[in-house]
Amino acid sequence: MENNNPLSPHIQIYKWHISSLVSIVTRITGIINILVITLICFWFAILLFGESSYEIIQLFFKSFLGKFIAVGITWSFSFQVLSEIRHLIMDLGYGFELKTTNVTGIMVIIFSFIFTILIYLLGRQFI
Amino acid sequence: MRPVTKKWLFLKISSFILIPLMLWFVINFVSFYDKNYQEIVRFLTTQPSKFLVSLFLIFAFFFSALSISEVLEDYIHDEKIKNAANKALNIFAILIPLTAIIVIFNLSL
Repeated sequence: MENNNPLSPHIQIYKWHISSLVSIVTRITGIINILVITLICFWFAILLFGESSYEIIQLFFKSFLGKFIAVGITWSFSFQVLSEIRHLIMDLGYGFELKTTNVTGIMVIIFSFIFTILIYLLGRQFI
Repeated sequence: MRPVTKKWLFLKISSFILIPLMLWFVINFVSFYDKNYQEIVRFLTTQPSKFLVSLFLIFAFFFSALSISEVLEDYIHDEKIKNAANKALNIFAILIPLTAIIVIFNLSL
């Protein structure tokens, strides 16, 4: 049976708003996160090969690039968590007014950076 | 219940469960990512982290498979390609976490 459901227009057709920005970044971070989690699964699998095979991964994570990627992953996870909380609140029927969607969208962006710093400090036991 | 409603409900329930698991995992990831072999294996083989990491992987892949299938629904025009992509996505979302959980349960110091 032919499916005649309308498809979404491509994103470049829309005029950019905070909501569309948060929405597209949520999709991008969602895809990045699942790729990262897949790589983490491979990382765990390497542990099966013993201590000597693991040294190169530890060296990578101790490098500047490794730390930069770890911070990037923290931001990507933070953004996704905050955006999902925003979505769940909207699913309950709150925050649909234009002004509110803009404010919550900006809050997701700003707090994703604050969360990244807090999570990093908490994880490294600085706080 | 219509299949789309069921899918939406699964998406929301998994999202609700995944939020605390994601926060717990990312805090621990930051604490162990540059640690040595023994410390990471110790983290993965002791409770509650062994159970929570497994749970996190199951929900992360389940939620992602549902979310990505929504993106495929929005942007892929050809039904055959869309079905093939969805099947590949589902196989991926079962195989990867299952393998990782088997690995975690076979790790020891």
